Amino acid sequence: MKKANSSKFIHKKGFRKDDISAYIMITPFFIFFILFVLVPIASNFYNSFTNYNLGKTRNFIGLQNYIKLFGDKDFIQSIWNTLIYAVFSVIPLMFLGFISAIAVNGRAKIFYITRALFVFPYITSMVAVSMIWLYLYEPTTGIFNKLFLAMELEPLKWLFDEKLALPSLILMNIWKNMGYVMIIYLAGLQGIQQDIYEAGRVDGASDFKMLYKITIPMVSPISFFIFVTTTIESFKTFEQIRIMTGGGPVNSTTTIVHQIYMRAFSEYKMGYASAMSIVLLVIIFVITMINIKFGKGKEQYI
Amino acid sequence: MIVCSTCHHTNFVKFCKPKINIYKLLTWFVVVILAALTAIPFLIMVSVSFQSMKEIYSPELVFIPTKFQFINYVNAMRNGNWGRYLFNSTYVTVIVVIVSLFINSMTGYAFARIRFKGRHFLFILLLVGMMIPPQVTMVPLFIIMRKFPLAGGNNILGIGGRGLINTYSGIIIPFIAGSFGVFLCRQFYMTFPKDIDNSALIDGCSRFKAFTKIYLPLSKPVLASLGILKFTGTWNEYTWPLIMTNSDSMKTVQIALTMFRDEAEIIWNQLMAATIISSIIIYILFLSLQKYFVAGILAGSVKE
Repeated sequence: MKKANSSKFIHKKGFRKDDISAYIMITPFFIFFILFVLVPIASNFYNSFTNYNLGKTRNFIGLQNYIKLFGDKDFIQSIWNTLIYAVFSVIPLMFLGFISAIAVNGRAKIFYITRALFVFPYITSMVAVSMIWLYLYEPTTGIFNKLFLAMELEPLKWLFDEKLALPSLILMNIWKNMGYVMIIYLAGLQGIQQDIYEAGRVDGASDFKMLYKITIPMVSPISFFIFVTTTIESFKTFEQIRIMTGGGPVNSTTTIVHQIYMRAFSEYKMGYASAMSIVLLVIIFVITMINIKFGKGKEQYI
Repeated sequence: MIVCSTCHHTNFVKFCKPKINIYKLLTWFVVVILAALTAIPFLIMVSVSFQSMKEIYSPELVFIPTKFQFINYVNAMRNGNWGRYLFNSTYVTVIVVIVSLFINSMTGYAFARIRFKGRHFLFILLLVGMMIPPQVTMVPLFIIMRKFPLAGGNNILGIGGRGLINTYSGIIIPFIAGSFGVFLCRQFYMTFPKDIDNSALIDGCSRFKAFTKIYLPLSKPVLASLGILKFTGTWNEYTWPLIMTNSDSMKTVQIALTMFRDEAEIIWNQLMAATIISSIIIYILFLSLQKYFVAGILAGSVKE
């Protein structure tokens, strides 16, 4: 009775005052949010219809930027590269992340140590990771070719090879992000109730059978979620490209964001780069919508 | 008398054939292989950082250097103004963490606890903002920073100067504007019982006071996770400082690392030493606050 009274009291007497204090409390954040998130997005749409190049002219040119995009060989190449990068990163990442999560899902101390080890590449900056792998891939002094020579194999040109550069970057990406996928899967595995396994054991199911019949179906919402997030992350790939290959050799590793960067910050074609950004936004938006539509039920695990 | 723990016979050699669990064996195999593959690049990084250039250029594989060249670390730090780069990164990161923790938790509290008009609309706006990747807004954001009125020689219309380019504010602001932290804090505060505010408000406490005196002291887990996410994200960021800075004195450590790459001949041992120095703070943070770190990664993953 007293409770009901008190909340009523607040509601009647404090509502207007509450409104004002709420607005005051959210104002500092919203100033930043509006000026540096919402305004940029809006101005990106506007710029994509102009020929703005940081100079004085900012003429409205309609859909010309977008039309030009379809004939831009570099940009189309970058979409292909990004797609290949995404597909060949995501599938091995999910596989390795899953089996590593299964492998370290235990209470022994050694599992805690290996878990921490797997996360190390993920928390290391992409710049640092790129530097390490730049050395590994280095044709003359690098470890891979030294190993190849020691095994009397033909040394490879790695990042300098048009066909090998993108796969090399994919390999590095898998190494870096496996720990992230593992953590998410691990949280999922620990959310599965143990009595399901007990029941399976009583029925005489083997460990493999339980993996196949219980674990994999139980984590399928998480698998879907990981699939979506790692795909989106792959579409944002830029840093390692700029640091390690510069998009080369012969555009074989250029990505969408790398193209945006090149057009905007070395050619100052801001309007054109904005149109590219919108294309990227649409791609990511579609993936996100797929996630929202089909990805229900992840909340119950994480 | 020894009794076998599996078959409970004394003569266990006869009765109990030790069953090899293939599943267990396989998982151990996986752990060992993946752990080795994860660790080896790091070990090579450490090894190279202590090698001499002669060892690096020799065609043989060198894992343990004949003589540990600690001087590489000193030389790496002398290659460029590393004191300044480390200061820049630390300054930017600390400001981002402090400011965003405060404004994010305060906004999160308002959304979780106060039924103000327009809160649904504003919250949806926040969620939409969360889905927009920074790579999409980097071009317009750069233009806004450059044209920022009354900064860096700009007039009131934002023309004439360089705006916020090459300033700390220019680097810091986009990290503060992200809405994920608000979302995280709101979700956290939603789990608090409502009665604790009500009684405080009856006692004549203002909303702001209720937030600082009651909610903030109870926010350690969420603020620790969010703080770590913000710290790692800001410290490790490369793209935005790359766009915003072009003077040597404003470089962050990530940008400075790539300078080794730009030289005609890469001095690998110094580069690896600098890489270790630039990452060590993150490793210390991770090893000492692992629990919050993992909670942060998990919380961060729900945002999409």
